[in-house]
Amino acid sequence: MSVLNDTIAALSTPVGTSGLAVVRASGPQCRELFGAVLGGEPKPRLATHGDYRDRSGQVIDDVVGLLFAGPKSYTGEDTLEISCHGNPFIAQKILEDLFARGCRAAEPGEFSRRAFLNGRMDLAQAEAVADLIHARSERAMAAANQQLRGSLGRHLATLTDELLDVLARVEAYIDFPDEDLPPEDRTVVQDALSRLTFGTERLLATEHYGELLREGIKTVILGEPNAGKSSLLNRLVGAERALVSPEPGTTRDYIEERIAIGPHSIRLIDTAGLNPSPAPLERLGMQKTVERASLADLFLLVLDATRPVPPLPDAIGACMTAGNTIVVVNKSDLAQPEFGGAQLPSPTVVRISALNGVGFERLRDEIAARAEAFRVDQGDEVIAINARHADALGRARAALMAARQKLEERGAAELLASDLRDALAAFGEIGGRIDNERMLDRLFATFCIGK
Amino acid sequence: MIFNKIPFDVIVCGAGHAGCEAALAASRLGASTLLLTGNLDTIAQMSCNPAIGGQAKGQIVREIDALGGEMGINTDVTGIQFRLLNESKGPAVQSPRAQCDKKAYQFRMKHVLELQKNLQLFQATVTALVFESGRVVGVRTNLDIEFRGRSVVVTTGTFLRGLMHIGQNKNEGGRLGDFSARTLSSSFLEAGIELQRLKTGTPPRLLGRSIDFGKMEEQKGDASPTLFAFHDTRDPEDMFHVEQTGESRLGWAPGSDQVSCWMTYTTPRTAEIVRQNLHKSAMYSGEIKGVGPRYCPSIEDKFVRFADKPRHLLFLEPEGRHTNEYYVNGLSTSLPFEVQLEMVHSVPGLENAVLLRPAYAVEYDFAPPTQLFPSLESKKVENLFFAGQINGTSGYEEAACQGLVAGVNAVRKVRAEDPMVIGRHEGYIGVLIDDLVTKGTNEPYRMFTSRAEHRLLFNHGSAELRLEAHARAHRLVSVSRLDRIRAKRSQIDHWIQEFGRRRAGSGQNGSLADAVRRQMTGGGPAASLPEDFCALGSAVQQEVLYRVSYEGYLLREERQIAKLADVEKIRIPADLDFAEVKGLRKESALKLAAFKPFNLGQASRISGVSPADISILMVMLEARRRAGEESASVPRN
Repeated sequence: MSVLNDTIAALSTPVGTSGLAVVRASGPQCRELFGAVLGGEPKPRLATHGDYRDRSGQVIDDVVGLLFAGPKSYTGEDTLEISCHGNPFIAQKILEDLFARGCRAAEPGEFSRRAFLNGRMDLAQAEAVADLIHARSERAMAAANQQLRGSLGRHLATLTDELLDVLARVEAYIDFPDEDLPPEDRTVVQDALSRLTFGTERLLATEHYGELLREGIKTVILGEPNAGKSSLLNRLVGAERALVSPEPGTTRDYIEERIAIGPHSIRLIDTAGLNPSPAPLERLGMQKTVERASLADLFLLVLDATRPVPPLPDAIGACMTAGNTIVVVNKSDLAQPEFGGAQLPSPTVVRISALNGVGFERLRDEIAARAEAFRVDQGDEVIAINARHADALGRARAALMAARQKLEERGAAELLASDLRDALAAFGEIGGRIDNERMLDRLFATFCIGK
Repeated sequence: MIFNKIPFDVIVCGAGHAGCEAALAASRLGASTLLLTGNLDTIAQMSCNPAIGGQAKGQIVREIDALGGEMGINTDVTGIQFRLLNESKGPAVQSPRAQCDKKAYQFRMKHVLELQKNLQLFQATVTALVFESGRVVGVRTNLDIEFRGRSVVVTTGTFLRGLMHIGQNKNEGGRLGDFSARTLSSSFLEAGIELQRLKTGTPPRLLGRSIDFGKMEEQKGDASPTLFAFHDTRDPEDMFHVEQTGESRLGWAPGSDQVSCWMTYTTPRTAEIVRQNLHKSAMYSGEIKGVGPRYCPSIEDKFVRFADKPRHLLFLEPEGRHTNEYYVNGLSTSLPFEVQLEMVHSVPGLENAVLLRPAYAVEYDFAPPTQLFPSLESKKVENLFFAGQINGTSGYEEAACQGLVAGVNAVRKVRAEDPMVIGRHEGYIGVLIDDLVTKGTNEPYRMFTSRAEHRLLFNHGSAELRLEAHARAHRLVSVSRLDRIRAKRSQIDHWIQEFGRRRAGSGQNGSLADAVRRQMTGGGPAASLPEDFCALGSAVQQEVLYRVSYEGYLLREERQIAKLADVEKIRIPADLDFAEVKGLRKESALKLAAFKPFNLGQASRISGVSPADISILMVMLEARRRAGEESASVPRN
C-alpha cells in the first residue's frame, strides 16, 4: 500500500564537500526517472554506472544509479538512489533536475514516515519516526527562519504583496460584477505582472550567484600545449602547484586551485592543451577539457605571443562570449604579436609574462570585474537561494508568464486568476502559506464593495 | 406540559431559510420532524433584499437543488427577474441571480411545508433547550409547552438577543416588527457554548409611486432566464407538486413576465448629509459593539472609507408583483430616521420618495462555528445542530445550505449513521462549512467564488454531477432523478470523447475539441458543431462545451485535489488526546485539542499547524490503527 501518490526527492548525505553524495527519490515516478536520467531499463538492486543527463540532455556528472523496487525498499515504494561526486554543486544540480521532472522536495523525515506508513517499520519504531520528524522539522524551520529574516524574506514579501494586489484587483471584478467598480484597467495589471516577473527572475538569478558564493567562480584556463597555462596558474596561485615543463602536453588531466581575488572566490581549473592533432594519450585529456568548458563561468584563453592564434574546437568556442572570456597573451616579453585578422572570442586582451610576472595586476583586475558582473544587482544585499527556493520560484515565474499571456489574449478572468493563484501558492511554499483572507483584506481595502 | 411522549426525530427551531431546508430534508428522509417558528406568517422571509443567488450564491442554490433542497425551485416559480451575472469573466464564475416576489416566495414555501409528509408545523417561541447528560432531548417554549426530540437543529438567525438600532433609538427584535429570542442565549451559555456579537444592516424601503423612475437607468432581466433548479432531471411531479396538489395555485411559469430594477446614484449632497450627521449614527457613536460585514458596508462607511469616490451606486429592487414597495440596495445605514429622509431625498429620482420602513442595523448573538463538527453538530452538546446566521454567516443561500446539511445530519445522527460531509473540492457548500468549522469568522461570512481553491470545477451547471454521490448515498433525491442524472452524465462523457475523435471541419485544423477550445479560450473562429449535438438539451451542451474548452485547467485542479485526497481520508478519532502525541509541538497540540479536527485534511488547514505536525499525526494514527488490528486479531481463549 502506498499512502501517497507523488515522488519525493532529497539529498540524503550531509551538505558539503565529501567523497560521495547521495540523492534519493521515492515514489511511483522512480522507474521512469531512472530511464530518463541514466537511459535504459533499470535492474532492481543492480548498480548502474553512467552519465546523469539533465532535461536539456547535458551531462551533470558520472554517477551510480540504484533502483530498489517497492515494496522491498526502505520506504516500501520504488526508490532511486543516485551517488554522485561529493560536490554540493553537482548534488544540487541533480536535485534541481529531479524537481524539474516533477519530484517534490521531501519534507523533514518524510522518507521515514513513508517507510512506516508502508509497513516497513514496526510499531515500536513509530515513536522514533515521530521524534525524527520533529527534530528535522525544528532544524529546517530554524534554517528557513534565518533565511526569511534576511533579504530573501524581504524581497519575497514585496513580491507577495504586489501579487496580492493584482489578485485582489482581478478577484474584485469576478466576485462583485454588479458593483460600481472603476473601469477595468488592463495596463495596471499588465505593468504589475511585468514587475512581478522581473522581480521573480532577479531572485531566481541569485541561485547561480548562490552557487558562485559557495563554490567559487569556475574559471577554466584554455590554450594550446605549452602556451603557458600551468605557469599562469602557478603565478596566480603563487606556488608551484601545476607540474611545469617545457615539454608540450604535460597536463593531461586537469588541476584545480582555489584563490581569492578581492572578495571573490575563484576556482582556477587548468586543462590539457588544445592540440589539433593530439596523441592517443592526450585525446582523453582533450575530451575532459571540453567537458570542463561546458560548465565554466569564466575562460582565460591563453595565447602564445610567439605563435599564430590557433583554431578553437567548436564545442568550446560555442561556450565563449565577450562577457565570459579574457584573452591572455603570454610570453609578451618575447614578441609583440599583431593578431591581425584573427578571430578572438573577446576584445579583452591582457598581455602578460608568466615568467617575470608582468601584466598580472591587470589580469587580476579583469577577473575581479568579471566576478563582480556575476553578482546580480541587489544593492548591498546578498541573496543566495537554494534548490527548493529555485523550484518554487521557477513555478511562480511560469505561472506569471501564463497570466501575462492570458491578459494579452484577453482570456477569461477566471483563468487569469487561476494562474495568479498558482504563483501565489508558489511564493507561499517559500515564505509560508498565504491565507485567502489576506487577499480579501486587500480587496475590501482597495474597492468600495457593497450595495 | 410535555406535548409528545414519543420524541420527534428532529426538532427544528426557526423557519427561515435554514430552518425550512432543515425541516424539509429531515422529513423527506422519513424522520418525524417538528418545525417551530415564532410567527407562521414570516416563514422563509427575505429580511433584507428580495433576491436569491448572485456570485457564488447562485452556485450554492444549484447545489442545494442537487441535494434535493427547495430553494432553487421556490426561486424559479416565484422569481420576477432573472439575470446571469459575469457573462464575460468565464463560465465557472457565471452565477444566476433572481429577484423574487417576496410574499409569493414565502407563501409557496409555507405551503410546501404544510403539505410535507412527516412534518409538523407549530407557532411558538423556543425559550430554552432541555439537556440530559450532555445531550439535547427537547425544547421549551414561551407557551409553557415542552417538545421532546432526539435531535434539535437551531436556526435563530438574527433573533438571538436581537437589538435594532436607528440612530440612538433601540428596539429589541430580530427584524423590524418581530420579536427577539431573549432567553435562549442563556441555555447555550449554560451548556458551555460560547456566544459573540455580530452586526448587520438593511436599507430603507420606499413607495414605488413616489419614485421618479424617469431619472434612473433601467435594468431588465435576461431574455432567456437561467433557472436554479435542474429542470432537466427533476421529476415532473416533484417540480410543481404544490401547484398541482395544493388548494391554490402558487407561483407562475419560471421566467415569465419579468419586471425591471432601477439604478441611480448618491450625490455630493448625500455625502454632505452623511458626514454632518456621522456622530448620530449608531455605528459611529459606539452604540453598536458587533462587527459588521466588509462587503456590505453602511453608507456611512462608504463615505468615510472611500472619501475620494464621488458617488455610490443604488439599486431599486421591486419587492413583488402585488406590492408597490421598493428596496434601496446600497443605502444600508443606522443614521436616525430624519437623516435617512434627508439622505433619500438627495438622490435623483427620490426627491419626493415616501419611506415605508426605515433602514436599521441589527446586532445579534452568534455561536462561533469552530465549536462545531463538519456535520454542524455541536462539539459540546450531542445531537444539537446549528445552521444559518447563528454560525456567523450572512445570506439566505449560505443559511439554506447549512440547514439542509444540518437536517440530513440530524437524521443520520439519530439513526447512528455517519454524517454527510461535503468536501472542499466538491462544491461551495463544502468550502463554506469547512471554512466555518476550521477557521471560524469574525464578520458575517459571505461566500465568494474566490474562497474556493477549485473554483473552475464549480461551474453552476455541474452542481448535480458533482454532488451526485452524496445525493445517492444519502437518498436525498428520487431514484428516477438519479437515473436521469446518470444518463445525463454518460451523455456528457460520450460527447466529450466524440469531440476529441471528430475532425474540426470547415477548414480548421485538429479535432472538434481543439476548435472549440480555440473558440472559447483564445477567441478563435466559431467551431461548427454537429447537428446531433445541437439537438441535445442545453444543459448537456453547455457542460460538454465547458469541459472540452477548459480541459487542461480542470485536469490541473483534479490533480491538485488528488494530491490532497490522502490526508482528507485519514479520520482523527474524537477521543484522541493530542497532548499525549509524542513529538507534536506543544502549541500545535493545544490548537488541535481546541479545534478537534475531524480528519487530517482539516487539521492541516488550522492556522499554525505545520506539515511536520501532520506527518507526526499521520504516523501516530497509523500506529494506533495497527495496534487496534493487532489486539483485534489476538485469539481469545
